[in-house]
Amino acid sequence: MNDTILRTKNLKTYFYTTRGVVKAVNGVNFNLSRGECLCLVGESGCGKSVTALSLLRLLDSPPARIVDGQVSFGDIDLVKCSTRQLRQIRGKDIAMVFQEAQSALNPVLSIGNQIIEQVELHERISQREARARALALLEEMGIPSAERVIDTYPHLLSGGMKQRAMIAMSLSCNPQILIADEPTTAVDVTIQAQILEIFRNLRARKQMSFIFITHDLAIVNEIGDRAVVMYGGRDVETAPVSRIIKNPRHPYTRGLIACLPNMSRSEKRLESIPGNTPNPIELPPGCPFHPRCPKAMDICRRKVPSPTIVAEGHAVSCHLYAS
Amino acid sequence: MKYRTAGTSTSIRAGGRLAGYYWQRTRRNKLAIAGLAFIIFLIFLALFGPFFTMDPTEVNFDEKNLPPIGFSIEKSIYDINTDEFTTTIIRGTWKHPLGTDNKGRDLLAMIVSGARISLLVGLIATGMAIILGTIIGVLSAYSGGWVDNALMRFTDIMMTFPFFLLLVLIVFIFGHSLIFIVLAIGLTGWTGTARLIRSESLSLRTREFVTAARAIGASDRRVIFRHLIPNVMSLIIVITTLSIPGVIMAEAALSFIGLGDPTWTSWGIILSAGQHTLDTAWWIAVGPGIMLFLTVLAFNFLGDGLRDAFDPKSKI
Repeated sequence: MNDTILRTKNLKTYFYTTRGVVKAVNGVNFNLSRGECLCLVGESGCGKSVTALSLLRLLDSPPARIVDGQVSFGDIDLVKCSTRQLRQIRGKDIAMVFQEAQSALNPVLSIGNQIIEQVELHERISQREARARALALLEEMGIPSAERVIDTYPHLLSGGMKQRAMIAMSLSCNPQILIADEPTTAVDVTIQAQILEIFRNLRARKQMSFIFITHDLAIVNEIGDRAVVMYGGRDVETAPVSRIIKNPRHPYTRGLIACLPNMSRSEKRLESIPGNTPNPIELPPGCPFHPRCPKAMDICRRKVPSPTIVAEGHAVSCHLYAS
Repeated sequence: MKYRTAGTSTSIRAGGRLAGYYWQRTRRNKLAIAGLAFIIFLIFLALFGPFFTMDPTEVNFDEKNLPPIGFSIEKSIYDINTDEFTTTIIRGTWKHPLGTDNKGRDLLAMIVSGARISLLVGLIATGMAIILGTIIGVLSAYSGGWVDNALMRFTDIMMTFPFFLLLVLIVFIFGHSLIFIVLAIGLTGWTGTARLIRSESLSLRTREFVTAARAIGASDRRVIFRHLIPNVMSLIIVITTLSIPGVIMAEAALSFIGLGDPTWTSWGIILSAGQHTLDTAWWIAVGPGIMLFLTVLAFNFLGDGLRDAFDPKSKI
């Protein structure tokens, strides 16, 4: 797959706070191919969401600043392009679905008006056409009595409905890339299954690329083509999902996989990775995972590992595999 | 998976327009409704009253210091020829139901035209202050950084500056003109609003829908005017209702100490004219005094009611 649509290179986003510099994203690299679903996986605080927000420069500056790196969308560098150009890309070429529809929908605008607003920002289209499109999208998302929902306000809808409305909104301009930031985390499991079903349908029907952010490896397994495992603001392992699940190489990924409950084995306790995620103000020197790593070596404390290709399409940043 | 219809959630009508919901909540507060009724009455009085009353500037010394209807005063006149006091009893007449002042002007007409001035000053000056305060507050919160700092320090300076002294200064420089009084009150009264709106917007700004609005390609101006300001609208409405009485009082106070615009009969001007004759012709000061009192009370009741209605934590 050489048809890359989005490429990040050494992306670094730091937050400048009074307590110090928070290195939330500290060198992230990945490619997104056309029609692919790329999952960003990692624990809370590993920089997944900040990465997603950095792609469209949505973080408030100050305190956040993208200090280094590139985000290439076609021949545009999203880190350096003008705000004007960026505004035209946001919502039109690259759309975003947020974690909590509850807070990501404006409480004082009706569902329909929020979808129509996005359409009108990017296309010369009459109010009636925009409304018709909003209605069609809501129906497509499986919202019952969409012609009534379109004029209601977010607080009247259930969590699942809000999430659907937000997905409808993100699709309103037929984006090439959809960034979904934990879209199933704030809803219960039945809704989660339905939302995933929507994403799977979208994948089947539309030529769209997805960046799917989650901490749930089960979701990755269900929906992803490739996965980027993140730790301490870096990508530590990138591979096709089947390889990540069956043949993880990085000790951290192995830890994550080991944490999954396994029905075939009968264990008393679930595995866990000892220790906590590193403090992003004082990242450990060398590999950020070394204090928790069962296989830590001397070099891990001194040198940040660079990615090694261990198989086709499978890169690991770990000294264990350095040639 | 069922769409929760409007009927299932209490008192929210189908369609769920928030205005309707807040009206339902406000309606349960009797005092607020009484306040609203009085304000509506006052607006009608100010709009149409002057067409039905006499000319408030018409001077008639034959009928000066007439008491209101139902009251009487004894009037003693010293006769230089007989060297005697002749005492007559003067009763209020239907021609001047609220009596007359010391120049024989009809007090009812004065109070009705005073309502026009007081409301006009209250609404225009408050409107100016609220618009300024909202824009400065939202801009400050949304921009953050040095813009926020600069705007808030400017607000601090405006706040510490003695408001009344400034008014006196403006009137002294530009003269007793109603326009300058309105401008002075409007241009100094926005500071509290700016702070309240800023703090509310600061918490709103961290909500995801602001980021979401930017993620769909909205410009900063669009985020501020379409997404932030509509969300602080409830606060704006409450601040407006609660600050109108303050502005009306400020105008009355200015007039009372003689800095008002003498070409317009505002309540403050009638009050200040009546204070010298409080022992002989008490009705001159009492009429506008009661009106001021009721107006301020009505706006405060309504404002309190609205604040309770808009507050999601209050159970009414």
